[in-house]
Amino acid sequence: MMIMLRFEIKKIFSKRINKLMLMVLIAVTIVGSLLAIRDVKYYTDQGNKISGPAAARQLKMEKNRWQGYLTEDVIKQVVEENKEAKASSAMEDDALIKRQGIEDIREIINRGFAEPGEYDYYLCDNISPEKAAGLYEQRLVILNKDLGSGNADKAGFSQNEKEFLRDRYKDMNAPLYYEYMDGWKALLDSQYLPTLMIITIVIIGFLISGIFSDEFQFKADSIFFSSELGRNKAVTAKLKAGFITITAVYWGVMLLFSIIILAALGFGGAECMIQAGGNWNSIYNITYFQNWLFTMLGGYAAHLFILTLAMFISAKSRSTVIAITIPFALSCAPMFLGRVPMFTDIMSMFPDMLLRMCAFLEDLLVCEIFGKVFGLYTVLIPVYLLLSFVIAGVLYRNYRKAEVR
Amino acid sequence: MELRVCNLTKNFGGFTAVNNLNIDMTNGVYGLLGVNGAGKTTFMRMLCTLLKPSSGTITCNNEDIFALGAEYRKILGYLPQDFGFYPEFTVEDYLMYIASIKGLRQAAAKKRVRELIAGVGLEKAARRKMKKLSGGMKRRAGIAQAMLNDPRILVLDEPTAGLDPNERIRFRNLISELAEDRLVLLSTHIVSDIEYIANEILLMKDGQVAHKGTADVLINAMDENVWKCHVDRNAVPYLMGKYKISNVKSDGNSAELRIISGNRPMPEAESVNANLEDLFLYYFGEKAGDDNA
Repeated sequence: MMIMLRFEIKKIFSKRINKLMLMVLIAVTIVGSLLAIRDVKYYTDQGNKISGPAAARQLKMEKNRWQGYLTEDVIKQVVEENKEAKASSAMEDDALIKRQGIEDIREIINRGFAEPGEYDYYLCDNISPEKAAGLYEQRLVILNKDLGSGNADKAGFSQNEKEFLRDRYKDMNAPLYYEYMDGWKALLDSQYLPTLMIITIVIIGFLISGIFSDEFQFKADSIFFSSELGRNKAVTAKLKAGFITITAVYWGVMLLFSIIILAALGFGGAECMIQAGGNWNSIYNITYFQNWLFTMLGGYAAHLFILTLAMFISAKSRSTVIAITIPFALSCAPMFLGRVPMFTDIMSMFPDMLLRMCAFLEDLLVCEIFGKVFGLYTVLIPVYLLLSFVIAGVLYRNYRKAEVR
Repeated sequence: MELRVCNLTKNFGGFTAVNNLNIDMTNGVYGLLGVNGAGKTTFMRMLCTLLKPSSGTITCNNEDIFALGAEYRKILGYLPQDFGFYPEFTVEDYLMYIASIKGLRQAAAKKRVRELIAGVGLEKAARRKMKKLSGGMKRRAGIAQAMLNDPRILVLDEPTAGLDPNERIRFRNLISELAEDRLVLLSTHIVSDIEYIANEILLMKDGQVAHKGTADVLINAMDENVWKCHVDRNAVPYLMGKYKISNVKSDGNSAELRIISGNRPMPEAESVNANLEDLFLYYFGEKAGDDNA
């Protein structure tokens, strides 16, 4: 079995196009991580912009002055410091330089007191320290306003769902712990990761699409299916080769991307709740490290499902070309179709959502199953993992009965 | 070892490729002869469990081969007409992979692959990629893969197609060597291949085995004679329309013909012994003539 598996993997990686695709993927991963690193910026007292690891070092120093729990007192202090920075600056740019260390907390306040669907960058400049201290209570108030507004009705939340959302908000442990977390934010809160996931799935699609159809394309099917193990263990070896390729390439790319970014910008902030970063309105009460695991698992579930489906199409259609289009169609097309109002709800159930979930953790996406409400992603991940194995089973049964005409 | 084919039929939509075929085969070399579309490949694919019959059965030692499944495929070796392979694999890798799907353990597979590579004369090309091999070398790799599991039943579909004369002779000899103590079913268009190595010839026509027997038996069963004569070249088209002609050899303004006919076609024609090519034309003359037209 091991030899069979080794040769199935060798078949995949001995193809020139696949080698090329793998190199492209590694290059894209490195370039993507460097771009994400470059997006971290710091302005010196003289107004010079620096970016990347050097900027991260400065920001870490300034932001970690506020390391600890964001209690009412700390929030008041931040508001005071923000006002001082503004008052002592002749121009807005000067104030921006002075408040780089409190920018994250300032952002939480801006978002925490914004009315549903609104945002005011200068809100923190005008709020009183006493009012700002009520930040955590305000979060639920704003949610209730949102749920009571026309927006929520439009989203079609049931009473159960509204209650679930309120409970999730109440479950958030306040006060939030805060420290420098720009490495995790660059990794998880930017558009680079979802884009990389889409590129990865399309490229892995190239690698695995020929596993089953190549037997027919190379006319090697007669010998394969007339061999002793050609209709049982050899088919299992193909499936295993597919899963190993998907798993190894996906996790390899994601680890490479994550390690480059975190090594350059710092691993600090892993224990901070995502609400303390850029996800104030999220119903997922998880830390940045948990978010990384969650996002990676979601991406993996999407990869497994879409690519197993591609293998199934490859086996059924006996065409590598048709199979290659599946990852592209399923990862990109729903994104555009979802913008059409009549498709929005149904498209939110598509597996591509799992490729982009880190960018949508703040959206109030829930689903109700037999009266029980869940966060959408906590349902989609196990469902698509399960479906992957169902498709693999059907593929096995189907392929082993293939006829050679 | 006994393969019994009973009322075997295979339909593809409205087309019947194999029609109520019956035959028993034991050890020995069976040559399957027939024109294109006679159903040879479809029959062989059913023997190799690649196609399920529309009706009828194939049994191996009285057990249905489809029910036997892997147990039957364990004793089967197959070289298909369109021999496909993995272009980026070396000969050694290719054979090791096929050995693995034939259920050979790694140590045994390595030994067997070495033996077969030497046996088919591919030692120097063992590490060469399959896509870089000549047609003859690919065929040799093909026969090597078919022999990996030392099969009791060896099915060879057009194994000498596309080979040069030297390669064909070498290949024929190789098959003769391999044929001991096993059942070999060999399909070909090249009748001389069968003439040299087949113990029994199966003439397949319209999805059925129309005639079977040794070459001598089949030739003796012909109720027409073979005549050799020299004629003016201008007369050849007329004679081709009138008789089955198995060979035309031009020589200046005249031509030497081999004519199959019940009666002496012309006074100067001399009777000669029939060979398998004459036999082929005798049984499949109309279609063979059409193909050659």
